[in-house]
Parts: sequence; structure tokens; C-alpha cells
Amino acid sequence: MSAVKVGVTGAAGQIGYSILPMICSGQMLGADTKIDLALLDIPQCEDALRGVAMEINDSAFPLLNSLKYGSDPREILRDLDIIIFLGGFPRKAGMERKELLQKNMNIFKEQGTALNEVGKPTTLCLVVANPANTNCLVLAHHAPNIPRKNFTAMTRLDHNRASFQIANRVGALTIDVKNVAIWGNHSSTQYPDVNHGTVRGGAIRPAVNDDEWLNGEFISCVQKRGAAIIAARKLSSAMSAAKAAVDHVRDWYLGTKDGEWVSMAVLSDGSYGIDTGLCYSFPCTCSNREWHIVQGLDINEFSRDKMNLTKQELTEERDEAFSA
Amino acid sequence: MFKILSRTFTQHMKEPVRVVVTGGSGQIAYSLLFRIASGSLLGEHQPVILQIYDLPHMQSALKGVVMEISDGAFPLVHEIIASDTPSTVYADADYAFLVGAKPRGPGMERGDLLKQNGEIFVKVGQDLDKFAKKTVKVLAVGNPVNTNALIAMSNAPSIPKENFTAMTRLDHNRALCQLATYLNTEVHNIEKLVIWGNHSPTMFPDLTYTTLHNQKIKTKIDHIWYEKEFIPTVQQRGTAIIAARKASSAASAASAAVDHVRDWALGSNGQWVSMAVPSDLYNGEYGIPIGLIFSYPIVCANGSYQLVKDLKIDEFQHNKLRITVNELLKEKEAVVDLIRK
Repeated sequence: MSAVKVGVTGAAGQIGYSILPMICSGQMLGADTKIDLALLDIPQCEDALRGVAMEINDSAFPLLNSLKYGSDPREILRDLDIIIFLGGFPRKAGMERKELLQKNMNIFKEQGTALNEVGKPTTLCLVVANPANTNCLVLAHHAPNIPRKNFTAMTRLDHNRASFQIANRVGALTIDVKNVAIWGNHSSTQYPDVNHGTVRGGAIRPAVNDDEWLNGEFISCVQKRGAAIIAARKLSSAMSAAKAAVDHVRDWYLGTKDGEWVSMAVLSDGSYGIDTGLCYSFPCTCSNREWHIVQGLDINEFSRDKMNLTKQELTEERDEAFSA
Repeated sequence: MFKILSRTFTQHMKEPVRVVVTGGSGQIAYSLLFRIASGSLLGEHQPVILQIYDLPHMQSALKGVVMEISDGAFPLVHEIIASDTPSTVYADADYAFLVGAKPRGPGMERGDLLKQNGEIFVKVGQDLDKFAKKTVKVLAVGNPVNTNALIAMSNAPSIPKENFTAMTRLDHNRALCQLATYLNTEVHNIEKLVIWGNHSPTMFPDLTYTTLHNQKIKTKIDHIWYEKEFIPTVQQRGTAIIAARKASSAASAASAAVDHVRDWALGSNGQWVSMAVPSDLYNGEYGIPIGLIFSYPIVCANGSYQLVKDLKIDEFQHNKLRITVNELLKEKEAVVDLIRK
């Protein structure tokens, strides 16, 4: 079996440091799949990137077939099977949202343009860098040679966080919680929806038996989890973000289990009244390296309001990003 | 103390094992805990209970780490216990990664480093002795690693000596990587590389028996490269990584720790690995005095490890071994009052 070519941008950063050992130890593509790894970061991070590459080599991973790194997207992003976009412009204190959007738009325009030249029509892209959904839109916009369905953004961290909160509430294991759904933007307007999920095979709502909590504190807890971790660690949640990215790619590439779905932000096909032209998180199943939005879920009024709120934020972000 | 409790629902998995990690809020533990949680250590059918230790003033940061492990949605993590109470953390431990140690501060002499860590590891040994399972497999990762392991071992008299080891697997992996680059090959084609001695600049990376595709390479290697480039590069790799990253080599250290304990628990498939283990077990073999924790060529099988015996040692090797032995004897002398007779 030939090696799978995996690229990571922003590889010298915190999430990069966490994700690379996970990828190289077989957590993403399985214990039998070799990896050709390609790492990209900006010239200013050249030394740090070299240091990370040294450590990956020093780990003597049996599955690592080759490793290359550099700052030229046309060289590094060439002919890859999977790319995880960690690199973005971080929010600085006092930075306006418009400025953050603008700086990230420039990055993803450059990388999208490069990808359009050197990518494969089968390259699968996961955008993690925030604002993830809008960055994904920009990336896709500048890489028209690559099918729209190959561009996704990550809400798997929110999905995993929501699953844990439910598990913790009822004293179950996180893997016993299935089919929560994250709708919308990877931001504080995301909507974690438990109406179609199960814990230990039974519906979540009756198992938790506390609608007030489910409609209130649960949602805000998941939305604000990132901030809570920064408050505790004084550092952001790099490892759990990396794990979520690995989960997202693994399930996309290897398929989801029967009866189970995951949350992915994808370019909408109009499902559930969400305009095409938005990158919006939906419940999805995966097979043959393709995602499919789960159809036919009942959306009540409470959910509809939440879904509209996050849709509105995404529409504004998109308009801001593309207006310049 | 806080606990994240989860009750097992699926019945087909094995009984969980208890894995202790000390220094739980630090850099190496951050990388290590997530590797363990993913199944890198004992395979995808072995659930784990993580028992994480740090000092009282680090409990808030540790809480953040626990939150992240929980958010990692790992199927194999059945419980997470985080505490500053030894009787809780070490209770019934099956594995213990002793990552927590006092780092070298500015102006600190090596003697101070040895003594201050020595005091920590006296307590660690006593706590393991009181609370862990007698079958616990212990790996010291925090430096000075060999002497810390020795002190812990001597303060845990009811636990068999062979259960106490120290990590030279990072040096081993680094040496493999350097050699693979030099030979333009992949690491898995190389076998029988040995790291002897102390995890310190006196460590001796030995290519005397090393093979590439089962052919000995010693005569094919430029001896100048071996002495003037290979050995110093392996010895100073940690420093080189700090220079590049502006942070120390946590991820590769964690990876080596996983490799060391995994091979010990599951076997090394006939391969030689490097582990620092009690020289008491080998009665002066290779001229190494008893009473030390010393890195040797080791093969692991059936949950235990064996020394590779009957290797011929030439004068060059003998001199290198003597240097690292002497350093370890000096270290031991500096903390002799902490070593329980």
C-alpha cells in the first residue's frame, strides 16, 4: 500500500506540535498506513519548524515514510491527499474582528491560489485556523479546480466537548454518547443539539432529565469551553483540538460507523434551509471519502432559532470577508 | 482532588489498568497523557485509568489538562483521577511514569540538582512502596534520571528491583535517526544499536554490534564521523532542539517514554532496545558495578526484560563505559544518605 501524503500548515505552532505525533503514530489513518508528511509554516517560524521536524524524526515512528518542511506553499502543498490548515492569523489583544477576518483572508487566499495550482482534484482539506468556517470559504473560493465537497472546517472539537458534557452529566463514558450535532459556526453562536442523540442507546433528553440545563447551561458550557481551558491552563486547548482534527479526518477518510454521525462544517448544499455559499456545520455520515449531510431530522422552534442565529453570523462574516 | 468518573458500559474490553503520570501539568506529561489515552502504550483493546499527580499549586493547570483529556473523547480512557495526594494517585498503580522533577534553575550546581530531586524521589519511592501494586512497572523520566530511579527503587523495598527503570530510549531513538540519515536508510532497517550508561553527556551510543539489513556496519562507518560527529550530535541533541524551538523536546521525550514502557509490557519482538535498569540484576556483567541504574542492551518479552549477554567489549568501548560508570558513582555519592540500605 502506498503512503498517504499528509500536509499540515502552521505546523510550528501549538496544535501542530500536538497533532504531528498523533498522525505519525497511526491515530488518524490506522496502524497499517504509512505517511508522507509535509509541513508548512511562515519564514519567521523557520527555526521552530526545523525543531519540530527534528523531534518527529527523533521519535523514530515506524509509519513515517518521509518528512519535508518549508515555507513555500507551492512546494509543500503539492500533490497531497490530505491537508490540515492550522496556520492562521491569531487574534491579538484589541484587534477588531474585521481586521482579524482581513488578515486571515489574505493567508487563505494565498494558500488557496497555491493549492489550485499544485493540489490534486482528490485533495481533502480541513480548516482548523479561526475563523475556521470563513477561512474555509475563502480557501475554497481561490481553489476552483478542487471540488467544493473537498473543503471542510472543524467543529469536531465542539462535538467531542458536547459528548463529554452529556456523558459527565449521566455518569457514562464519552463513547457511549452518540449523534450529538453541532450546527453552524465554530464560534460562540454554535448550536450543540442533543435532540437526535443517544447515551447508552437511549435518547439523551430523557436520560439527562433536565431540559433547563440542556437548553441553557449545557449549550453555553460547550460554547465557552475553550475559554474555560485557557483560564485553567493559561494556554489554549491544543491537544484536544489536535485530537478533534485527527477524528474529523479519520472519519472522513475511513468512514463513519453504521448508525453514527459526526459534526463537520461543509459548504452547504441547501439542507435545512442553510444557503449554499456558507460553510456551515451539519451532522454528517462519511463513506468512500465523502461526507453526506444527515437528512430528515426534525428541527423544532428552539433549534431553528439557534440555527438561524449562527447562520446570520456566518452570513455577516462571509460578507465582510468578501467585501474588501 | 477531583475525579472524572465513568462507568464501563461495554463488556468486551479488558479490565482497565492504572497508569500514573507525575508532573502532570508539565510539557512532557501533556504530550505523554494524550499518547497513552490514544492506546499507543498498550494497544487499542486495553482501557486505562489515568492517575495524574502534580503539586498543590499546579492543580488548577492540571484541571485544564483533565478537561482536555475528557474533551478528547478517547474510548480507552475509563477514568481520570487528578490529585496532589499520593495515596490517591499511586493507588494500585500498574504503570508509573515519573516525569515530575525539579528542573535546573539558574546558578544551580549539579550537586544541588541531585539532592533536591533526590528528596523528591525518596518520597516517590516510599509512596510507590505503600500504595502501588507490587507488579508496578516504573519509568523515571525526570532528570537526573538514573539516580532518581535508584533513589526511588531503594526506598521501595517491597517492590522487586527490576521494576524500576530509567529512560535512555530518547537517546536511543535520536541515535537511530542520526545513523539512518548517515546511511541514507530508514530507522527500521537498523538493529542492535546500544546506549550504555547514564542519561547525560557521558552516555555512550555504541555502534559496535549495529546492523543495517542484518549486516554489521561498524567497518563501513567512518570512525572520525562516529567519534567527532555522531556521538556529540546524539549527546547534544536536546540542546539543539531547545535552540531551534526555544522549548525543550517534550514530544519526542514522551514518544520515547511510550516506546520504553510499551516494549517492556508487550515485548520488543526480538529487537534490542536501550533501557537503564538496576545493575544489581547482572552481577558485574560488562564490568558494570552493582548498585547503579545503568543503560544496557535489552530484549523484552513476556512482560519482562533480559540483558543481551556475552557481547565482546573492546578497549574503546571499555574506556567509554568507565567514564559513564564513574559519573554515576559520583552522582550516587552525592545522594548517598538518600539511598536506603
